[in-house]
Amino acid sequence: MTGQSGQSGRMLLGLTKILGKCSLPCRWMRKYIVIYRSVVMENMQYMANIAMGFVSYFVLNFVFMNLWNYMYGTSGELIAGYGKEQMIWYVMITEMIWFGARPAVVARQAAIDIRGGNIAYMVNKPYYYPFYILAKYTGEWSVQLPMYAALAAVMGTTMVGKLPGFHVTAVPVIILCVVLGITINAVFKLCIGLFSFWIEDTHPFQWLYDKLILVVGVIFPIEIFPEKLQPFFKLTPIYTVCYGPAKLVVDFSPGKCLEILCAQFLYLALGSVLIYVVYRKGVRKLYVNGG
Amino acid sequence: MEAIRAENLSKTFRVKRKEKGIKGSVKSVLHPQAQEIKAVDGVSFTVEEGEILAFIGPNGAGKSTTIKMLTGILYPDGGSLEVLGLNPTKRRKQLAYEIGTVFGQKEQLWTHLTPYDNFRFFGAIYDIPEKETERRIKELGELFTLGAFIDTPVRGLSLGQRIRCEFVASLIHRPKVLFLDEPTIGLDPVVKGTIRSLIRQMNKELHTTVFLTSHDVGDIEKLCERIVIINSGRVVLDDSMTHLKDIHTSGMSLENIIMDIYQAEGRSEAV
Repeated sequence: MTGQSGQSGRMLLGLTKILGKCSLPCRWMRKYIVIYRSVVMENMQYMANIAMGFVSYFVLNFVFMNLWNYMYGTSGELIAGYGKEQMIWYVMITEMIWFGARPAVVARQAAIDIRGGNIAYMVNKPYYYPFYILAKYTGEWSVQLPMYAALAAVMGTTMVGKLPGFHVTAVPVIILCVVLGITINAVFKLCIGLFSFWIEDTHPFQWLYDKLILVVGVIFPIEIFPEKLQPFFKLTPIYTVCYGPAKLVVDFSPGKCLEILCAQFLYLALGSVLIYVVYRKGVRKLYVNGG
Repeated sequence: MEAIRAENLSKTFRVKRKEKGIKGSVKSVLHPQAQEIKAVDGVSFTVEEGEILAFIGPNGAGKSTTIKMLTGILYPDGGSLEVLGLNPTKRRKQLAYEIGTVFGQKEQLWTHLTPYDNFRFFGAIYDIPEKETERRIKELGELFTLGAFIDTPVRGLSLGQRIRCEFVASLIHRPKVLFLDEPTIGLDPVVKGTIRSLIRQMNKELHTTVFLTSHDVGDIEKLCERIVIINSGRVVLDDSMTHLKDIHTSGMSLENIIMDIYQAEGRSEAV
């Protein structure tokens, strides 16, 4: 474990060295890469703790595996357009994202920093606070998610079997979709957290948002829901966070891929504008009223 | 040359008011009331480059509000302000590269990382090239004698060791002005003495201007050449340490002198 973390640390160190020699935009990124690297180093000390979460992941997927085995009566049956293997793999992928990229740092830290007054000491550091939080979060999930991905692959191939129609060539674009989905989720969660500038407790809003993502997209694919509700779900970020990447894993098509990527870039742009506005207004309030 | 100049600085906060009991809670929802509190009221002072200034006062006197305005965290309502020739309100990010802060009660280090990794992190935050960061870690590590614990995670350090590391983290970008807020709080007398001599040494060797707030008279007496006392948002004394001692009864301790000044202003807490 130490050897692995040392190797990754050296790779990250190399990357920051290269960026250190680059032009201005790269140098601007260097500080966020160092924040990311620091969190990776921090998280690597707790790989055993992260692995403890595997138990919950295994139990949950085992329950859903049995549930869908029961629901699919005969072989070859389709529910909402998904075969049994596709449905179980879908849940395993969405749960992998859910467990491996828990945005606790995004959801809690902004609220804690603002309510506890720590934000005042961070705004006068030469970094942009929302990027600081997002870099920290990226550092967290980039250690956890590969661990859960490995577990999902082992569980899936041994307990469910090969996924019909899956091509390894689609993996790079799926990874891009997963990363974008996780980032969109973090951006919206951070936005909710930043509302702590005005309201005492953002936890109920975080809870509502989490449950929406969990029910619509993580546990069940959108196609399970009534047809009249589906267009509404497709207009929300839910479509891009878990559903989109998992859908590409179980039923990849270039058209669907393009549709999901476009929706993701749109939501990322929208979320970024929202964060910019909310943070700007919140910090202005801090400068004037002292938080 | 002046490092800090504040003229007629003022800041008023609106604080919510609520009457007692359930009736008061309901009333505060239907008719919210707020009270205006003047935290800083026409404060003026200057700090010369390389000077160590004690900025003291009882709790709630307006010290922290003034520091927050000097570091660009708060916008003043009135008056003018310049730190190293920059207006902190308008040039906050630029100023961030020129100033450092150590808050005795606020940790800025990442506790799971070693001091060395923390310093490299701060070096990157302040856009310092890798080699230069290494050089400064070595230089400051020697000045603050961190050799024995530079590779131990911060969570395993004693308070005195952590404060020394906080200083190095704040000095890694070579700030021209260092704001110290209660830097020796909670430390034992021996460690306090070490920290004080390190502040003196840092001021002498790096020529850093130090703006110190502390309730510890020892910090003020042993470090500062000048003292500014603030009470109820106003400056009540701005004098050199030697002159302050000269005009008071001989043999009177600095603690008693400060207590006298506070009491004359109607406050006797702190110190």
